[in-house]
Amino acid sequence: MLVIAGSAYAEPSVDGNDIAIPGPGANPNTYANTSPKTSPKTDPNPVVRLHAWGGSAQVNSYLKWVADRVERKHGITLKHVKLADTSDAVSRVLAEKAAGNLNNGSVDLIWINGENFAAMKKNALLATGWVTDIANFALTNPSNNSAMVTDFGEPTLGMEAPWGKASMVFYYRKAHFDSFNEPVPQTLQALLQFSQQQPGRFTYPVVTDYLGISFIKYAAIALNSSNQSLFYSPVTQKSLEKITPSLWAYLDALHPTMWRNGEYMVRQASQLQRLIGNGELSLAFSFTAAEIPSAVERFDLPRDVRTFAMSDGSLANVHFIGLTFNSPNQAAAKTVVNFLLSPEAQAKKQRLQVWGDDTVLDTSVLSASQKSMFETQQSHPSALDKSQSTPLYAEPHASWTDALRQAWEERYGARY
Amino acid sequence: MSNFNSQSKPQSKPQSKNRNRSFGQGHFNRITVWAKWLLLCLLIIPVVAGVVGVFLPAMGYFPAIGAEQFDFRVFAALFDVAGIHRMMWLSLFTGVVATVIAALFAFVLLSVFYRSQMLSRLQIVLSPFLVLPHAGAAIALVFLLSPSGFFARLFTFDSSAIASTNEGVFLFDSYGISIILALVLKEIPFILLMAISVMSQPLIQEKINGYFKAGTALGYSPIAIFFKLVLPVVFPQIRLPLLAVLVFAVSNVEIPLILGPNDPSTLAVAILHWFNHIDLSMRLQASSAAVVQVGIAVFAVIVMLAVEKGIIFYGKKWLQRGKRHAATDKAISATAYLLLVAYVVLVVSAVYTLVAFSFAKQWTFPNIIPADVTMLHWNTVFDAVLTPLSNTVLLGVSVSFSALVLVLLTLESEPLNAAKTRASLLLPTALFLPLLVPGVAFLYGLVWFQQLILKDAVWFHVYVAHMVYVIPYVYLSLAVAYRKFDNRYVMVALSLGKSPMEVFFFVKLPLLIGPILVAFALGLAISFSQYLPTLLTTGGAISTVTTEAVALAAGSSARLSAAYVVIQAVMPLCGFGLAWWLSNILFKPSTNTRSTNKSNTGKSVRSV
Repeated sequence: MLVIAGSAYAEPSVDGNDIAIPGPGANPNTYANTSPKTSPKTDPNPVVRLHAWGGSAQVNSYLKWVADRVERKHGITLKHVKLADTSDAVSRVLAEKAAGNLNNGSVDLIWINGENFAAMKKNALLATGWVTDIANFALTNPSNNSAMVTDFGEPTLGMEAPWGKASMVFYYRKAHFDSFNEPVPQTLQALLQFSQQQPGRFTYPVVTDYLGISFIKYAAIALNSSNQSLFYSPVTQKSLEKITPSLWAYLDALHPTMWRNGEYMVRQASQLQRLIGNGELSLAFSFTAAEIPSAVERFDLPRDVRTFAMSDGSLANVHFIGLTFNSPNQAAAKTVVNFLLSPEAQAKKQRLQVWGDDTVLDTSVLSASQKSMFETQQSHPSALDKSQSTPLYAEPHASWTDALRQAWEERYGARY
Repeated sequence: MSNFNSQSKPQSKPQSKNRNRSFGQGHFNRITVWAKWLLLCLLIIPVVAGVVGVFLPAMGYFPAIGAEQFDFRVFAALFDVAGIHRMMWLSLFTGVVATVIAALFAFVLLSVFYRSQMLSRLQIVLSPFLVLPHAGAAIALVFLLSPSGFFARLFTFDSSAIASTNEGVFLFDSYGISIILALVLKEIPFILLMAISVMSQPLIQEKINGYFKAGTALGYSPIAIFFKLVLPVVFPQIRLPLLAVLVFAVSNVEIPLILGPNDPSTLAVAILHWFNHIDLSMRLQASSAAVVQVGIAVFAVIVMLAVEKGIIFYGKKWLQRGKRHAATDKAISATAYLLLVAYVVLVVSAVYTLVAFSFAKQWTFPNIIPADVTMLHWNTVFDAVLTPLSNTVLLGVSVSFSALVLVLLTLESEPLNAAKTRASLLLPTALFLPLLVPGVAFLYGLVWFQQLILKDAVWFHVYVAHMVYVIPYVYLSLAVAYRKFDNRYVMVALSLGKSPMEVFFFVKLPLLIGPILVAFALGLAISFSQYLPTLLTTGGAISTVTTEAVALAAGSSARLSAAYVVIQAVMPLCGFGLAWWLSNILFKPSTNTRSTNKSNTGKSVRSV
C-alpha cells in the first residue's frame, strides 16, 4: 500500500546529463573507464534501478552485495529502490506509460511474480523476449523445467527471468507451546483447533498482502483436495462456487479466535514476524524459510522459534526479475540479471546466513565446481528441517488470486 | 510611513546619496513584491495542478484508461463501496475530537503555567513530541502501548507470562481512540508553541500583563484570568494554526496507517490504498474519494468554527457572571499536572524503550531490560543511513532556508505596500491551500503533471513538494511575531533616516532573530517529516530518513525500526537546539535589547 523509497547506496542525483565529466577518482571502476572519450551514447557508468520489496534486512544486504559485485565487475551502479509493496512500482510504470514516457522510465528492473506480473503483461509494461539473451538463463534448464517460464499459470514470454524459489513454512514459539501443553498443528484443521484452544495466538495478514492471499490459497487448496485440478485453469464462477463453501466455513470459525479477535488484521507479512518476536503471537508463517534462523541471529526472533512445513501441503512458487519496456539502460540491466543468475550469486543467495532463497538453477546442468558452491548448508535450531517431506502445491492460475480476494472482501469487508 | 520619512529627512544630506537610497528602496520594495508572488506561485500552482489532476479522474476523465466522459458515476460508485460512510466518519471523528481535546489540554496547561517558571520546563518536556515526525510518534506509541509493549511489561510480574492479546485491546481499536491519542499527544505541543509565541509578543505581553494586574486586583484567580481575559486575546491569533492542525488531523495518513483500525480504515488510508492499486481504474475511485476527503476537511473546519462561536456565545454570559474563581480551578490545575506527568512518563518510557530496543539482543516479554546489548542494529543502520541522512539534511536546509527568505520578504512587503494588493488578498487563502487540501489528494495529481513536464528533475520536484508544506508553517510561525512587532522601533529608525531596507536588515531581523531561527528549525522539522511528498515526487529515487523509517516500520525488525525513530527524533531536535543556542548567542533579549537598540540608533544618529 505504500511505496517505500530508499536507495541506501544511491548517489544523490543521477541522470543522463552529466556525460563527459569523469568523476575525480570517486568510482574505482577500472573496466568502464578504459576509454573516457567514448561517444555519449554508451554511458560509461550506467545506473540500473532495481525496484524490489525492501522489508527484509537479508534481501537488502544481499542486494547490496550484488551492487558491490556488479560495480566492480561491470562498472554498473545498481540502485535498490526499496518498496513496501511491489504494486507501487507497477503503478509507477503504468503512470509513466500513461504520460507518454516511452524510453526514459524510472524503473529498470522489478522483482515480481503472480498478479503483478499478470498486470504488467496485460498492460505491456515489460520488455519481451530479452530473457533468452541472458547467458546464465540456460542454467535453469527451461526446456525441462516449465516453472522457469510460467508465472502463476501465465507463460512469461521472455518478459522476466526466474530469480528464486520459495515455499510456505510455518514457525512457532516453542516456549509458548510447551506452556500451553498443546501439540504444534501439522494440518489446516489442527491449526483451527489450536486457535480455538488458545485464542489470539495466530493471525494472517490482510488479503491485499501477498502472504495473506497465499494463506487463503493454501486453505482453499487444502480444504478442496478432491477438486484441486480446478485451481490450475482460469477461474470461473462455477469453480469458485465449488470451493468457497468449505473455505468460508473454515474462516468463519477461525476469525473470531485470531489475534485481536480477528477485528484487526496486520497489513503486512513482515508484521507477523514482529508479533512473534514480541510474543503476541505463537504461530505464524512465511514464504522464506531462511529468514527465520537469520532473524534469530539478528535477535529479531527469540531463540525458541522453530520452523516446519505443514504435512498437508505447502504452497510453492518461483519469483522473477522483470525488465521494463521503457528502461533507458536495457543493456546494463541485462548484465545485472545475468549476474543474478550466475552460480556465484545464486549460491550466495541460497546460503542461510545470507538469505536462504532456493536457487532456480538446475544443479544437473552445472559443472562440478559450480555445484560445489551450493554445498555450504549448516543446521540451525530454528531452521527448517529439510528431512521431512511435504507435498508442494503449485500456485493456482493467476486469475484465482483476484477472484479469491474479491470473494473474501465481499464476505469479510475490504481491509486496508 | 514614507511621509514620516520625508519629514525627518535631514536637510544637509547630499543629493546624490538621497537618490541612491531611494533607488535602493524601490529596488528592495520590488524584490519583496516579487518574493510575495513567487511564494504565491509556489503555494498555488502545485496544489491547483494537483487538484486538477485528481478532480478530472473523479469526474470520470482519465484518458490513460480510456475514460473520457464527464459524469458523476465515479462518485456514485464510491458511495456504493462497503463501509465508505464509516471511513468518512472515522476520519471526521478522530480529527475533530483530537483537535478539540488537544486545544483544550493546551489551554489547560497554559492557564496553569503561563505565569510560572515551569513554562520553559514544560516546553522542554513537550519538545520531543513536537519535533518527532508523526510516523515516529505513532511507532513510539506502538512500542509503549501494545500488549507486549513497555507498559504491559511494567505491570506483568509473572516472568513466564505470555503477552495477552485479546483482552484490553487498545491499539488498532475500531473507534479510532488510538489515533486520537496519538494526534492529541502530537498536537498539544504544537498548539502550545503557537500560543506561547503569540503571548511572548511585546504588545500582547504588555496587554496580558495589564489584564493580569487588573484581574488580580479585582480578585480573579490566575486560572480564571487566563480563561476570562487572556485567552480571548490569544485565541484569534492562533485560530489559523489550529485549523491547520484540524485539517491535518482529519486527513493524515501515517498515524491511522500505523495505529488505526482496518475494518474499515480512515478514508485517507483507503485513498492511499486505492491510488496504489494495481488496477488503474481504481484511480477513479481514489480521486473521487480524495475530493470527498477535501469536503470532510472543509466540513471539519465548519464544525470547529461553530464550536468556537458557541463557546464565544456562552463565554460572554460566563464572563458577565463575574465569578472570581473558575469553579473548576482545582480540577484544571490537577489536569495540567496530570498531563505534565503523563508527558514525562511517556517521553521517558519512549526514549528508554526505543534506545534500548535499538541496542537490544534478545528481549522477550515480560522483561523490562534486554538480555544483552549489541551494536549490530546500529551498524546495520549506519551502513544504510548515510545517503538518506545527507539527502534529508540537504533538502531540509535548502527548503527551509529559501522558505524563510521568501516568507520574510513577503511579510516585509506588507508594511511597504500598505494598500491591499491582489497578492496580499490572495495570501491567506493560498497559505491554507496546501494545509486544507489533503496531501493524499493533490500529490498524486501533481505527480501526474510532473511526469508530463521535466520528468527528470527529481530534486526540483521534491523541492517544490516540500516547499508547499514548509512555507505555510514557516509563515504561520513567523507572521505572528512579525505582525506584532513593536512598530515604534521601525518608526524611530525611519525617522532617523534609515531606509526601509536598512530597517529590515538592521532593526527587524536582529530583533526577530529568535522567532526567525525557530521558524527555520520548524521548517527543517517539517521537511524532515515529509513522507508522502518525498516518496511520490521522487518515485523512490531520493530516500530520506523518514521514508526509510516508514519502510522499516512495515518491516520485520523492531530493533531497526526503533533505531530509525531515534534518528528521526534527534535530527529536528538538533535543529531546534541550534536555533535556541544561536538566538541566545546572537541576541539576548533580556540583556542585549537595550544595547543593540542603542547601537542601532546610535549608528543612525551618527549617519545623520
